[in-house]
Amino acid sequence: MTPEPLALALAELAERLRRSTVEVRTGGTGVGSGVIWTDDGLVITNAHVARAETATLVLADGRTLTGRVTARDRRRDLATIAIAGGRSVAGLTPATVGHPATLRTGDLVVALGNPLGITGALAVGVVHALEPGHVGRPRWIRADIRLAPGNSGGPLADARGRVVGLNTMIANGLGIAVPVTTIARFLNDAGFRHDDTGWRAA
Amino acid sequence: MAGASTDSTPAGVLESLSNDLAGAVERAGQSVVAIHARRRIPSSGVHWRPGIIVAAHHTIQRDEDITVSLADGSTLPATLAGRDPTTDLAVLRVDGITAPVARVADPNGVRVGALVLALGRPGPAVTASLGVISAVGGEWRTWHGGTIDRFVRLDISIYDGFSGGPLVDAAGRVLGIDTSGLSRGAALAIPAKTVNRVADQLQKDGRVSRGYLGLGMQAVRLPAALIERLGLPNDVGLMIVSAEPGGPADRAGVLIGDILVALDDAPIADPAELLALLGADRVGKSVTVRIVRGGEVTNVAITVGERPQQQRSSRRGR
Repeated sequence: MTPEPLALALAELAERLRRSTVEVRTGGTGVGSGVIWTDDGLVITNAHVARAETATLVLADGRTLTGRVTARDRRRDLATIAIAGGRSVAGLTPATVGHPATLRTGDLVVALGNPLGITGALAVGVVHALEPGHVGRPRWIRADIRLAPGNSGGPLADARGRVVGLNTMIANGLGIAVPVTTIARFLNDAGFRHDDTGWRAA
Repeated sequence: MAGASTDSTPAGVLESLSNDLAGAVERAGQSVVAIHARRRIPSSGVHWRPGIIVAAHHTIQRDEDITVSLADGSTLPATLAGRDPTTDLAVLRVDGITAPVARVADPNGVRVGALVLALGRPGPAVTASLGVISAVGGEWRTWHGGTIDRFVRLDISIYDGFSGGPLVDAAGRVLGIDTSGLSRGAALAIPAKTVNRVADQLQKDGRVSRGYLGLGMQAVRLPAALIERLGLPNDVGLMIVSAEPGGPADRAGVLIGDILVALDDAPIADPAELLALLGADRVGKSVTVRIVRGGEVTNVAITVGERPQQQRSSRRGR
């Protein structure tokens, strides 16, 4: 294996994830990140990022859109934002969603977001630990990856670019992500339904 | 599973690397154990030889009531066979351990830029962090006087359970034991060769002996006129600032205020140089130290003692 294909593969992966990642501003200080979940404008982010009723979203191509916070779950630290205009907004690229059950400790993971305001920054690391959660509580993905404020709400993806978690906090230097299985439960509780075409508001 | 891991397309390269790393963790993780010998978070150890666990000395904070948890979730009692604070290694004996022993890598794998994983088990699950070997040097001496066969510095994040865990290559073979307790919290690896040597001694004797003079010293610059008049080998000597009462040097008549300039004709300008000359082979033998006292040179014969064992470490590190 030569370094060239590795660099190329990372660049492709970053570009693909970048198209599905948005910058989220809700006024006040700091920015967060979000993940485009459906082509009709559903964005997933952290509850601690979506503090207000409305949000300003900046796409990877620079377009600035407005969104409305439609659901918020403080316990899971998750929120949904509906992009104004929904399906009529051209070129929304939903993320490919993976499954945390396929992850193993040591697997490569990448994070995309806006750490400390740096737009569309990539971080690379590995899964540090996958510990089974307690009943009724989410299980976290702990990653050996360098994150900073502004990564919150952004995607943590596997080596194929499939989103496996939402970067939510930093603890003892480790990136802590909410697994997408928890996001699915959150969406279900928030009244969204999943079918062959993806998640839809019920 | 879609996407063969041997795929050579750009995306396949990352997947293949990811699979290699996760595979390395899975294989090497089988021989990584959790050691319950301190409060709060367990520390890591490696099943190095059948029934023998190697750990980082500074993480083993008690000598009794030690247990070890394996990858399969079982917990077994362990006894401390010995510890060597100078290399920050400790050896535990565990009867009836079923975990596989670590597969040790060829030492040629220790190269600057080599992709490495630091594994640990600070709880039930194995943990991993990814980094590279950032510097490799020759044999070096720790602040506590131990000899490490190669200097191996890592660019890797240190989390709970780092010290005592294995440094593994991308194939899951063990290159050494990680520790943050030897150099101001820096991530270092103790190479397998050193681990083997120290484990041999600890298994046999329960300790690694060192020569001991019982002196506290401070490097001092010597006046040029004195150097010239006495024909001294260095412009720096070691002033004796303390001498353990009844210790080897005290019994031989070394006094506080003496300035040590040579040992057996080897010039000494640094306490580390003196430590380097006081290996296990010197214990019980006589050495001659050259000292400056009252403006004159005197030779004093000292019978080298054995350094008392440090039982526990107050050194910090994860």
